[in-house]
Amino acid sequence: MTTDKGTTTGTPATPPTTTPAAPDSVGGPRTLAWRRRRASAARFWRQYRTHRSGVVGLAALLLFALAAVTAPLLVGSDVDNVTDAPGSPLERPSSEFPFGTDRFGRDLLGLVIWGARVSLLVGLLAAVLSVAIGTLIGVTAGHFRGWYATVVMRVTDWFLVMPTLVLAIALATVMSRSLVTIVVAIGVTTWPTTARLVRAQTLAVETRPYIERARALGGGHWHVMSRHVLPQVMPLVLAQTTLIISAAILAEATLAFLGLGDPTGVSWGGLLQDAREAGAVSAGHWWYLVPPGIAIAVVALAFTLCGRAVESVLNPRLGVSR
Amino acid sequence: MDTNDQYGGQHDTRRPRIRHRGRTRGAVPRRVRLAAAAGAAALVLTAGLATPLDPAPREALAADDGKRTLTVAVAQSVDSLSPFLAVRLLSTSIHRLTYEYLTNYDPEDNHVVPGLATRWKSSPDKLTWTYTIRSDSKWSDGKRATAEDAAWTFNTMMTDEGAATANGSFTANFEEVTAPSPTELVIRLKKPQATMTALDVPIVPRHVWEKVDDFSKFNNDKDLPVVGNGPFVLTGYKPDSYVRLEANKDFWRGAPKFDALLFRYYKDQDAAVSALRKGEVSFVAGSPSLTPAQAASLRNEKNIKVNDAPGRRFYALATNPGAKAKNGEKIGDGHPSLLDQRVRNALFMAVDRKTVVDKVFQGHAVDGAGYIPPRYAHYFWEPSAGQELAYDPGKAARLLDQAGFMRNGDGKRVGKDGKPLNYRILCHATDPNDKAIGRYLEEWWGALGIGVTLNCLDNVTDPWLAGEYDLAFDGWSVNPDPDFVLSIHTCGALPATPEDTGATDNFICDEKYDGLYAQQLAEYDPAERANIVQQMQSRLYDLGYMNVMTYPNAVEAYRTDQIESITTMPSEAGNIYGQDGYWGWWSAVPADSGEGSGGSSSTGVVVGIVAGVVVLAGLGVFVAMRRRATAEDRE
Repeated sequence: MTTDKGTTTGTPATPPTTTPAAPDSVGGPRTLAWRRRRASAARFWRQYRTHRSGVVGLAALLLFALAAVTAPLLVGSDVDNVTDAPGSPLERPSSEFPFGTDRFGRDLLGLVIWGARVSLLVGLLAAVLSVAIGTLIGVTAGHFRGWYATVVMRVTDWFLVMPTLVLAIALATVMSRSLVTIVVAIGVTTWPTTARLVRAQTLAVETRPYIERARALGGGHWHVMSRHVLPQVMPLVLAQTTLIISAAILAEATLAFLGLGDPTGVSWGGLLQDAREAGAVSAGHWWYLVPPGIAIAVVALAFTLCGRAVESVLNPRLGVSR
Repeated sequence: MDTNDQYGGQHDTRRPRIRHRGRTRGAVPRRVRLAAAAGAAALVLTAGLATPLDPAPREALAADDGKRTLTVAVAQSVDSLSPFLAVRLLSTSIHRLTYEYLTNYDPEDNHVVPGLATRWKSSPDKLTWTYTIRSDSKWSDGKRATAEDAAWTFNTMMTDEGAATANGSFTANFEEVTAPSPTELVIRLKKPQATMTALDVPIVPRHVWEKVDDFSKFNNDKDLPVVGNGPFVLTGYKPDSYVRLEANKDFWRGAPKFDALLFRYYKDQDAAVSALRKGEVSFVAGSPSLTPAQAASLRNEKNIKVNDAPGRRFYALATNPGAKAKNGEKIGDGHPSLLDQRVRNALFMAVDRKTVVDKVFQGHAVDGAGYIPPRYAHYFWEPSAGQELAYDPGKAARLLDQAGFMRNGDGKRVGKDGKPLNYRILCHATDPNDKAIGRYLEEWWGALGIGVTLNCLDNVTDPWLAGEYDLAFDGWSVNPDPDFVLSIHTCGALPATPEDTGATDNFICDEKYDGLYAQQLAEYDPAERANIVQQMQSRLYDLGYMNVMTYPNAVEAYRTDQIESITTMPSEAGNIYGQDGYWGWWSAVPADSGEGSGGSSSTGVVVGIVAGVVVLAGLGVFVAMRRRATAEDRE
């Protein structure tokens, strides 16, 4: 999704169709659209850059993403192999193993890097799923009103008051243990906030005159929702996605820590669970607990910082930030 | 019968950690978030300080009313407090402490010593046994314990199916039990029975238990204190919270030195270890054992002794033998390929037991061999070099080839139906060792071309009884007399129909094994009986249904400033929790408390106060800075 119409979220002005094109431009409307998008992306980046915390978060994210993508080269795919673990169990940090070893004698640095793959993947997928559900429900509920909206919003309310973690645990327990299960469990429990948010925005957008104009010109439900409402709520959705990712990563870590994660893979929450089972907490083996814990905290924080920055760039109503 | 059943592990109830997820809604004011963050930070800081601020409450010893209480941290749930139903280690240990058995085992070397019976003799044909019941044992309600109580207990087990649930194997061969006088008990047998001096059956008071209607439902946990005649009396019980026992001052062998014994639940081993460090508990039970990391860290601790004893437990990988009921109906859905002995043996040959001992147990276990742990040297059996299923992945692969399970294009072994072999392993979610070994099995068997699905559950009982597993992690504590753990693999222990529950452990039914079982039970000559028991183990080993990987040590720890001395059983390198008698808790001597801990606790207070002041000052500075920083944000 592009962020071309991003800056207009709060102001009910300039519907996209009426954006004036430069009169002297050459080429068709497509080229024009692309030029406009490039310009707004550049504008977005200029404003984003002014948010120091957002830049820091983005840098941290890029670092983790790079580590996750290059993990097979950095540490090798056999890092989670228990049968030929390089060290002896629970070694302290040393020059050979900067983070020490786990209960199988595996290199914890390698495991933390490898674990970034699962944590980031689950975080992203679950957030996308959650936001997709939330947007679908929110836009349709805001657009159709009537009994449909009532029913759907009551369901949303019901999900909203349900303790998310308990629901996710229940889901993860009844379904077979795999990555997909975790993604689904997190995705279907965290969408209600997005749905409420998107519905509110949809209601606001739908009262604008250009929507009425579009209807008068014969635009159907689908046309209005997909061409006019969705682009207007997209910035909000984008910001929401970034924020939900951090929540999803925490949720994944929690589920894995509770022993409901994917048993075959390495994830940060799973490492914490391993550490707890090995008695690292009471034995004071801090090096087993601290790296995955910090990794979770840093990534969740980085996503939150980015999300906040994106939010304040895209939503002028949030005011000038420091 | 101090047996610890395989699914009795611990039904750990996972307590969901409540996580405060910030509802990431754009409209939340920044200040509220900041305040929340500051609050969370403060919480974390104070939590970290809990130790120095809390000068080690010695509540384990200094109880409210001056009673000396020995507090034991346990994890296993009580299955039932009825001696007719209980099979778990904790419940049967409680029965050892609250009821006398006819005989007991010597803490030194496990030989049989008098319990409720002072003497016993058998008729020349070995079919009539006469026990002399002691006259100085009294029930806690004042009545004398007599031969009549013992006769009633046995008769009830013989006539009432519900009462035979736990210990029925002892009385199955009884013809008639009578009490001609209060001090004389006569048992007539159908066939000779070798376990007559090791009847691990709690004797219950007739005048109390007569009123029970349905023995299969009565759990003996409502009417407290429970009338008994052991060294302790059960006075309090709250499921998964605590079990409280108080000393029986009139116990014929002498009153215990501690006034009370409290089994307190810590479902999390780390929490139990922390409680031991702080002195809230005097003893952490080695069931499940302390992890190697915990044991190593406690070993350096002052006032704490780690007892690392060769266990009385075996730890095995059970394979589903195509579970059937007595009526021949199939139970569950065990993998058909496991019916081939070559497959079972190949699987076990790909298990590197040395790695299990060295890496998973880190030396706190002994390499597995026969069914009975080496601690019972009399019955211990080891496979000969030719018979042993030693670690040999190459040979395992050849065996699988011979059995017709060849590799397909992807390197996976396929069965006769063309489907890749994939085994479900039932594992206890509460036992870290199960999971760790499961990880190894995935790789060892994966290298053979066999897929593994680890099925780690809190409650393994249901799939287990339903026969819905291919392999399972299994383990039992073995008594000095091995009859019971041998009996659970006989055809007679199978459930009558798929709907019933039998005493069987793993649905094994083998004619040759059953023949040997009957022989050993009827054999009175100890050497000859041991010989037969060893043959049984050999048969079990070859069958490959019970593959013993290790004998884990009992790793437990206690505070020496609360317990001065305590008897291990056997006295040479023995365990304390889960003994075959009441020796440990009965003999425990409280340490002189009062002095000694004063100095350290006052230092604790000083350290705590200083740390608290520092943290408060830090928080103040933090808040002040935040206020200044956010000043422009505020309206």
